[in-house]
Amino acid sequence: MDRARDEFEAAGVNLVLIGQLTPRHAAHFRRRQELELPVLADKDRVSYKAAGAKVATFSELLGPKVVAKGLRTARQTGQRQGKTLGHPAQLGGAMVIAPGGEVVWSHMADDAGDNATPEEILAAAASATSP
Amino acid sequence: MLGAASTRQQTNPPKRADALAEIVLLDQDGNEVRLGDLWSERPAALVWLRHYG
Repeated sequence: MDRARDEFEAAGVNLVLIGQLTPRHAAHFRRRQELELPVLADKDRVSYKAAGAKVATFSELLGPKVVAKGLRTARQTGQRQGKTLGHPAQLGGAMVIAPGGEVVWSHMADDAGDNATPEEILAAAASATSP
Repeated sequence: MLGAASTRQQTNPPKRADALAEIVLLDQDGNEVRLGDLWSERPAALVWLRHYG
C-alpha cells in the first residue's frame, strides 16, 4: 500500500491506515514495514465499528478457502503474517470518502482473506476526484 | 476461540461518514487526528488493517 502512496497523492487523495492498539504499536508497524504513510491507532476499535467492519467467525478466519488464499498471497508477495496484535478476529476494510462526507466506495472484508487491492482503492478514489 | 464471532456477521458500511468524522484517534506519534479533517478538503481513502501482524 505504501508503494501506491505517490499515486494517491498525485490523484489528490489522502491515504491513511488505521490499526488496532496504541500509537506505539502503530509506530513499530510503520518502522517494520518501512511505511511513510500515517498510521492511526484505534485501541477501542470505534472506527472499525463505525465503518461497519465485522468480527469474523472461526471459519472466516481459518477456513480452508481463507488459508489457501493467504498462502497464495504469501507466495505472490513474499509477505508473511507476523504475530497477531489486537482483536484477532477483527476484520478490516477500505473506504473512500468524498469532501462533504459521502462514502463513495467501500470494501469491508467478509473474511480474513478478503482484501481490496491498492489498485481497486486508487480507482475508487480517483473517481471521487473526477468532476 | 480467538475472539471469533459465534454467528456470521454482515459488514455494514455507512452511506455517509458523519459518525466516522467525529472520531478522534492518535497517530503513530501520539498526535490527535479527527477523522473528518482527512476529507474536509479532498477525498480520503481509509484502510482498516486487520492487525499489525
